[in-house]
Amino acid sequence: MRYAPAILVGRCVRFAARLRKPGGGSAVPGLIVNRIAPGYLKRTLSGFPQGLVVVSGSSGKSTTTKMLVAILRAHSVDVFTNPSTANISQGLTSALLERADWRGRVPGDVAVLEMDEGHGALVMQGVDARVVTLMNVMVDQIDRFHDSEMVAGMLGRIAARAGETVVVNADDAYLERLAGRVRPGVDVRRFGVSQDVLDSTTRGLGYTETTPERFEGDGVRVESVTGRGATISDGRSTVSIELPARGVHYAVDAAAAYATARAVLGDRFSADTAARALSEIPAVFGRGERVTVRGHEVEFVLVQNPASYQLNIDSITPGTEQLLFAMGSDVRDPSYFWPTDAASLGRVSIVSGSKAAEAALMLAYDGVVIDRVEPDLARALDDFLAAPAPGSGVKTIVFTADAMRRTRAHLGLRGAE
Amino acid sequence: MTLTIVSLLPGLQNTNGDAENAAVLAARAKWAALAVQLVAVESHADLPDRVDAVVLGSGSDASLDSSRAVLLTMHDELRRWATEGVPMLAVGTGWELLSWGIERPDGTGIEGLGIVPGRAVPRRSRITGDLVVASPRFGILVGFENHSRDYVGAEGSPLGRVRVGSGNGRDSAQEGVVMGNVVGTHLHGPVLAKNPALADDLLGSAAARAGVEYRPGAQASVVDGYAEAAREAQLSRARAAASAMNP
Repeated sequence: MRYAPAILVGRCVRFAARLRKPGGGSAVPGLIVNRIAPGYLKRTLSGFPQGLVVVSGSSGKSTTTKMLVAILRAHSVDVFTNPSTANISQGLTSALLERADWRGRVPGDVAVLEMDEGHGALVMQGVDARVVTLMNVMVDQIDRFHDSEMVAGMLGRIAARAGETVVVNADDAYLERLAGRVRPGVDVRRFGVSQDVLDSTTRGLGYTETTPERFEGDGVRVESVTGRGATISDGRSTVSIELPARGVHYAVDAAAAYATARAVLGDRFSADTAARALSEIPAVFGRGERVTVRGHEVEFVLVQNPASYQLNIDSITPGTEQLLFAMGSDVRDPSYFWPTDAASLGRVSIVSGSKAAEAALMLAYDGVVIDRVEPDLARALDDFLAAPAPGSGVKTIVFTADAMRRTRAHLGLRGAE
Repeated sequence: MTLTIVSLLPGLQNTNGDAENAAVLAARAKWAALAVQLVAVESHADLPDRVDAVVLGSGSDASLDSSRAVLLTMHDELRRWATEGVPMLAVGTGWELLSWGIERPDGTGIEGLGIVPGRAVPRRSRITGDLVVASPRFGILVGFENHSRDYVGAEGSPLGRVRVGSGNGRDSAQEGVVMGNVVGTHLHGPVLAKNPALADDLLGSAAARAGVEYRPGAQASVVDGYAEAAREAQLSRARAAASAMNP
């Protein structure tokens, strides 16, 4: 009963927000509930019967969360999870409200949350997690996270909330150091790649500091990656899975989800069920997806931080004829993208977004030929899509998160992730 | 005559992409049809025989000691380059390591290499944001700053006056230090791409020392058009933010 009035207010606010913006989600109901019932978020997150699982780190947490939820559901576990955009406290409370009954209770055996590494430390204050999974440390959005030490510190605070198990990427030296400092009684589980897999990557794994040697002993290891196929072994079983897209980072995400599911489910865990659930995750193209808009097949590629930028740029077929590259206001300071290399793009038809000039400057120094710079994204999209279809390949749009939202809105596509 | 541009410690000192400024110099030299090579130097053994320009970027505080240890192995070379007029750009902690020293909040310090005057001292909190500097030698410089220390002792030869941002701090209203062709600055990231006048000044000095002439190539004017647009966008945003703060 304690939260019923706050829940009612939150519901009314949500209703009002929906009237204003049909179909849209909103963080406002969460903001208001957090204000009038400050204990609600903590208490609800800590209250799931089989506990709370948190996935955090610089890169790969969305995919890993999605994979973990799929594995748990395949084991008939009722899972509450947050949409990846709702990983700060208002959004999280709003997401809980979506599912809550009138007293504020949220159904589900277990909650799996993707947690932003910056806000997570704050959101997690006073919240008890059962399992915390940490993906990697990469310097991200330099104006938010000044250096790797700071990111590692924030992840350490999130990990400190784990009561049972911390699952770490054993190839990430920062996380390995962090694993050495967990409270007594908290179990450490590991995932990572084999030496063969590491050797097969042209630019390494992209972590700020990769451990000099692959981990030995217990843990979940990516043994091989071939195209979209991968094999994962946990010391007892070895399974073959199909990844949602090519790329070692997807295999690492799958290993993380596998290791976490094993920690959550214990004896109930089945390697075969996990492998089947992982393989059934729908394919994605590049980082994003392939859609048909205005009669054209278009590939969307989302770039968020330097590591994903490099991986996703590398995944674009060299010689792709029609590219639109849009950098939005989410990139306040583009400096941290400069160490990446986009030379393989060769030529970009239009550079757009509110940071179009910064993006053009960077691409030009990579040796990319730029046909046109058009800061007005709506106009750039209209012109890009109005041009005849390319002779080979598909029209490809590379965008940062803000430019993605604007692109989707302009093209009338639902679900800005 | 091949110009040799050295990127010093790009492994440790490239947190904000500052080491990429060496590639910017190399690209501009190439556009000017000059022969040029870019050499990444991680240890003394990597040092080429001849050095025409040097870029040392910023790293994390955790790497200060390891970077200093490597820089000390080339202390003589650094001193000689500075004295002989080899253009050097040092950014953030890279610049701080070339100063007299770095003071920590707990009173301990790191002795610098003493190549440029001044020292880095703690500030209350980290400053991040736009930094706009009016330099008598290089014009208006536009970029970003992100540092947790101020800089004192550069009052005699700063890079320029701060128009927007904090710069050296401590109410100096100054940013950076210049000694001959050595430039130390908090302007991080692609400062030379964003400020072609600074890039061309350094490149011009490098070329003159090497006995060749540097005249920016045609491609430079195309790319500098993007730089100009990026500068304008940042300047108008920075001015708006500054006037909102000090109406």
